[in-house]
Amino acid sequence: MPEKAERKALAEGLRALNENMVTLADLSELAIRKAVDGLTRLDPDVSDEVFTLDGEIYALQLEIEKNCVDLIALHAPVARDLRTITTSLKITTDFDRIGRYAKDIAEITLRFRGKEPDHLRNLGSIPEMTEIAIQLVDKAIRAFVARDAESVRHIQEDDDAVDLLEERAFEELVDKMTSRSLDVGVGARYILVTRYLERIADHAVNIGQRVVYMVTGDRVPRIRAVDRANRTR
Amino acid sequence: MTLKVRTEHLSAWYGAKRGIEDISLDFEEHAVTAIIGPSGCGKSTLIRCMNRLHEVIPKARSEGKVLLDGEDIYALSAVSVRRRIGMVFQKANPFPTMSVYDNVSAGLRLNGVRDRKRLDETVLRSLKHAALWDEVRDSLDAPGVSLSGGQQQRLCIARALAVEPEVLLMDEPCSALDPIATAKIEDLIFDLKKEYTVVVVTHNMQQAARVADYTAFLYLGKLIEVNRTRELFERPAQDLTEKYITGRFG
Repeated sequence: MPEKAERKALAEGLRALNENMVTLADLSELAIRKAVDGLTRLDPDVSDEVFTLDGEIYALQLEIEKNCVDLIALHAPVARDLRTITTSLKITTDFDRIGRYAKDIAEITLRFRGKEPDHLRNLGSIPEMTEIAIQLVDKAIRAFVARDAESVRHIQEDDDAVDLLEERAFEELVDKMTSRSLDVGVGARYILVTRYLERIADHAVNIGQRVVYMVTGDRVPRIRAVDRANRTR
Repeated sequence: MTLKVRTEHLSAWYGAKRGIEDISLDFEEHAVTAIIGPSGCGKSTLIRCMNRLHEVIPKARSEGKVLLDGEDIYALSAVSVRRRIGMVFQKANPFPTMSVYDNVSAGLRLNGVRDRKRLDETVLRSLKHAALWDEVRDSLDAPGVSLSGGQQQRLCIARALAVEPEVLLMDEPCSALDPIATAKIEDLIFDLKKEYTVVVVTHNMQQAARVADYTAFLYLGKLIEVNRTRELFERPAQDLTEKYITGRFG
């Protein structure tokens, strides 16, 4: 077996890329946590912090894209190195989208203007949904950092809980709007929040599945929840 | 997949030193197979066994089989094998005293062909196949060695094609060429596979990735892995292959 060696410039480039990716992941997760915290407390100041984070995420995404293009152009990477770079290119978009949804939630917080009556009660399933969505993002990020494919091979199944909660939240909010205990304009904003959280969870699934490809080369098939349920019967 | 050439448990020695060990490898018809691996891993030895050039080296011998269309090439005459399986070498080696025309027609003339019309047609066809015709059509009488390095290599390819081989073996055909000449040879390899089965030994992994349908990785005389090129460079099955192609090899 030959001794361990490495192409120094490529290895250095990959190390820098990884550091940027970890930072990007941390910023994205922080943006969601802050956005949801701001929404729960109806604190407009937090929204400003989320807008700042969103800007940083976007700038870092561009830098990572440049890192990746440079590495491909200069080093013609193959095998795991190539998969790491192409995966990074793909999942920066997921992280960027997560940042954008956090920003969208922060904008809704501003529209409530800090005085929405029965806010905590109206949130209904949203806090639980938030918790699971953040756990999914966290799980995907940890898998990326640890290059751990097995922890996220079945991440799609974890996302089913978010989808169910979105459906439940939708029904709760529609009931309230139908019974006129909730203003339609306000209820629609809560529904948008559930939609953003559901999309954040979807992006976490994308990241997790890309990590599986990055580490093993396996492409995880996308299976609809209903088909998965039929399989396990 | 139509199998053109197969090696079965092929081993080869230089005296007591073993060059390749127990290599069983299939070569698909009308496909390009690249053979990669570090210096001394047996790449050239393998292809030299495939057209019986290995045996011309003093004290060299081989064991196992090389099958061409299912027929053992060691049961055929070496001359007929080399006509059906041509070879292009690392360094362009046109016959130094011959013109461009005579270089290309040398194989046919050695086989007794004297018909000028047939020779003319063969030279035209071979130079066109080797993507050299447009550059030398007005200088067919010039010495072969007066051409540039890249042109000389394509001249050698034309010379190999003139005897209408079925398989073309290329031993690092671009290692002495600049990027423009290399690109021309690579384009040529891409076109040649429509009519020939091509095997390319190369040190340049990007070249293997660009031109080959299949890639085989050899290490210390053994076949470590063979796969579709895309698969081998994207997700190699063997750790040793991964280490070699990513440059993590001491």
